[in-house]
Amino acid sequence: MSEKDRVMKDDYLWDGSGEPDPDVRKLENLMGRYRHNQPAPAFDQVVVKKSVRRPWDLSFSRHSFQLAAAAAVVLIGVATFIIIRVEHTNNSGPAWEIARIEGAPRVGWHSLSSGKETAHLKVGQTLVTDSSSRASITLDETGTIEVDPASRLRVVASGRDRKRLSLERGTIHATIWAPPGEFVVDTPSAVAVDLGCVYTLHVDDSGAGVLRTTMGWVGFKLNGHESFIPAGAVCATRPRIGPGTPYFEDASTSFRDALSKFDFAKITPQERNALLGILLVDARPQDALTLWHLLSRVSDADRPGVYDRLAALAPPPKEVTREGILRLDQKMLDSWWNSLGYGDVYLWHMYERTWSEK
Amino acid sequence: MERRAVIAQPMTETGADDALINAARAGDRSAFGLLYNRYARMVHGILLCRVPPREVDDLVQEVFLLALRKLDSLRDISRFGAWLSAITRNRANDYYRDSSRVELPMEPEEEEKVQSRSNDHAAEQEAAMTLAVLRTLPETYREPLMLRLVEGLTGPEIAGRMGLTHGSVRVNLHRGMQMLREKLAEKAAPGTEQSARANRASGQNE
Repeated sequence: MSEKDRVMKDDYLWDGSGEPDPDVRKLENLMGRYRHNQPAPAFDQVVVKKSVRRPWDLSFSRHSFQLAAAAAVVLIGVATFIIIRVEHTNNSGPAWEIARIEGAPRVGWHSLSSGKETAHLKVGQTLVTDSSSRASITLDETGTIEVDPASRLRVVASGRDRKRLSLERGTIHATIWAPPGEFVVDTPSAVAVDLGCVYTLHVDDSGAGVLRTTMGWVGFKLNGHESFIPAGAVCATRPRIGPGTPYFEDASTSFRDALSKFDFAKITPQERNALLGILLVDARPQDALTLWHLLSRVSDADRPGVYDRLAALAPPPKEVTREGILRLDQKMLDSWWNSLGYGDVYLWHMYERTWSEK
Repeated sequence: MERRAVIAQPMTETGADDALINAARAGDRSAFGLLYNRYARMVHGILLCRVPPREVDDLVQEVFLLALRKLDSLRDISRFGAWLSAITRNRANDYYRDSSRVELPMEPEEEEKVQSRSNDHAAEQEAAMTLAVLRTLPETYREPLMLRLVEGLTGPEIAGRMGLTHGSVRVNLHRGMQMLREKLAEKAAPGTEQSARANRASGQNE
């Protein structure tokens, strides 16, 4: 019996129809005790802390015209000052709190040598760890980042909904709880956009990098070249080339080696064909992640082969056609990606566009 | 794998959600309450995949309060479910931000005190063990299976709430259930009480 047939026999698991599956029934009864059973909170009594445009206080009209004019002048002055400050100094926003883990991490000339000592990392400042020091930085609204030895991490922006760091060298372990898309790390060879996750990012002295996602997923981008890295997957990146093709770490050695050469080595078209052959033959169902990315990275001549293999491992949704994928129809590519179950690509498009606008 | 079943979220459901979201954005808190009623089980299930059961109810409330605060930042209201799922996963990450928060394996007695909604001790233990095993499944399978088996949502409801296609949810439910069966069968082998406890601990510590 094919997997398709087996899936279709799971009517009870799917929607509770058909003959009940005894295992599913038992698990429903057993696990139902954890089911959500809390009533809705009294949302009408919740005070939402957000900027609210308030109507002008009507008592204003009782003040004299001169006072109003003076207030207007002051307001215009303050507004101008704020705009100039935001646009030209770019030094606003909250500072990251630094905690020393070991050694003597430093910011500028200031070293943190005591465990009790705290310091802050502001826009434009760089946290530097030598070969024997480690630190963590935390921003309450955003997340926490552990900085390994031999790293340089700079704060680029720290706006209310925009936090941007630059990892110039070294390794960071990021745990982000800000809403997806609000936290970004620049590296010399790609930009990592958090889409709700825990991940590790390493950049070596040449500017090459590797990103490993532990939870959620991360978008990796350079000059329109983009990769999506879900939990359990890895993606390498190289200066001037950008992100390679993501893959799951438990893929076979031959698969990973072939992918690395395919992405970054200077090879002949014949060698490239041979490597693609290895990738298609060795791919497992979970390597659909890699093959989906390859669709837009191979030549027109090679794309049908990738389509056929991916369709065999993870059949496309009904609305996705072979012809559409071969001409790289973005909606169809998105739809196929979403069907793989790694995350909604809408989030990426929404946040990637937001960041690009900045 | 059946792909003919791939259909968009039913219009009536989507339309109803859109109306509620628009009303909630305009300040109608009762509309947000209705969204809570529709999505609370999804949020609860996603959290249960990641944090200890005793923490989940409080975190559900926090997620909805955060969503209420951020509702204006949602650009495409038809993606409310996917957006809320992402906020929920991030909130679960938040739970682990304090590195000193180490989850110790709970003794069955403690589990019973914290989680019990019945007096059946053996069933409580079996449920705790099953939950721990479920939490060891890959993320792709864990969430739909948690929503189906624990929260009682059907596959079409899971797809509709989370903004996924029917096909992917159906396949992930099928593969996840297959994997869960295998793992539970391993646990059921004789002399595995110790390994079951170890597994329970690892499930709580993820």
